[in-house]
Amino acid sequence: MPRKQPTEEELERRKIVGVNAETVTDVTSTDFPGNWPGEDYAWDIKKIIRDTKIEFHQNEPAEASFSLIGVDASIANAFRRIMIADIPTIAIEKVFIDNNTSVIQDEVLAHRLGLIPFTGGREGLDNFMRWLPKPKDNEPIESTYFDYNTISLELRVTCTHNPNAAEDEKDPRKLYNHAHVYAKDIVFMPVGRQVKYFAGENAIRPVNPDILIAKLRPGQQIDLSMIMHKGVGSDHAKFSPVATASYRLLPTITILRPILGRDAENFAKCFPQGVIRLEKVTKAEAAREGSGYEGHASELKAVVVNPMLDTVSRECLRHDEFKEKVKLGRERDHFIFNIESTGQWESDAIFLASIAHLKEKARKLEQQVVDMVR
Amino acid sequence: MSREQYQIPTGSQQTFTGGAGNTAATTSREFDTGIMYYTCGDCAARVPLEKGAGIRCQKCGARVLYKERTKRMVQFEAR
Repeated sequence: MPRKQPTEEELERRKIVGVNAETVTDVTSTDFPGNWPGEDYAWDIKKIIRDTKIEFHQNEPAEASFSLIGVDASIANAFRRIMIADIPTIAIEKVFIDNNTSVIQDEVLAHRLGLIPFTGGREGLDNFMRWLPKPKDNEPIESTYFDYNTISLELRVTCTHNPNAAEDEKDPRKLYNHAHVYAKDIVFMPVGRQVKYFAGENAIRPVNPDILIAKLRPGQQIDLSMIMHKGVGSDHAKFSPVATASYRLLPTITILRPILGRDAENFAKCFPQGVIRLEKVTKAEAAREGSGYEGHASELKAVVVNPMLDTVSRECLRHDEFKEKVKLGRERDHFIFNIESTGQWESDAIFLASIAHLKEKARKLEQQVVDMVR
Repeated sequence: MSREQYQIPTGSQQTFTGGAGNTAATTSREFDTGIMYYTCGDCAARVPLEKGAGIRCQKCGARVLYKERTKRMVQFEAR
């Protein structure tokens, strides 16, 4: 039996997650086959292409923010997880300490070195650097070390007195030479074809040269070499290309009945700046019967201008004067992503790589299903 | 390198010829003359100590001496 297709309004309403003072309603999506009688939610690539949108709000090398609209939470979450755990970067993996007389212990020093984010020429990192293969059982680990999977670094610092320092100098950085060991003191030792791929400004270098590694006093010494490999975040967080990769749903604020005058000012204070604007009630609005503005011409009313800035603090639901006047919610298929890169990748490139990675995973799964049926 | 082959890294290494060929008598004599270096806990000077010598810094007379760090490379995982 054919049924009436839902109106646009009804479809919009179904997308909203209700946010009440103490509870959250309608958290699960309902747009799947068989849920709504007479409505077709069969998988359709044309519909997906038509409905899916990406809008960038901010796109800088270190941080990107964009909206992914019209996809299911499972897809958005897959991208987030892939960005955190499956996009490869290079990081220090082994530390060979010849001497360390600083106060920081060998283990702690090695751990700190591992967490320093490095970067280098994209061409070399993407196309030249490969995974480190596992050595055969009876072979030593270094039998698989080659120029295309291992990068050598050195850190050799000795702290000495500075004879030119002023007599009453208190700052250890001026009183001594190399009192602070920074990430910029790490020296890249290119091997083989790395000379070509990581030459000049493409050299392997710390993203933030001023990361403090250790503090020394005269006579203390750090003397070590390190090797880097390619790895993924699921192995260790130091390989993750993102500092944060998160999403939130777009908040919605619906004013059901007019909020006017003093109430409007208080209402605006319940939200972060820029979410609510105060506007004057026009004569036309005041003249309209049943609008709720009758007799309030040129008074201030609250208008929602930018719900994206809202933190959904729900402060407005705590006050009795706004009861039954406002409805808070979130759009279930509007994901506002925020990606902060650690510096090895451009932040938007991480998202593009995650799409490619999901595609590759799907392709592999398809092949396995085909093999299973055969 | 096995533990027996290990040579104590001091300035007087020529007196050690490795473990295998040595008789018990020569080994004990070499230990008599073997010098170990320590670090003074007070003045941080390098203090050579013979076996049986008093544990005392020749420079400042402090009685606290520290063992030196191994000269061998130590490998760590950066995790």
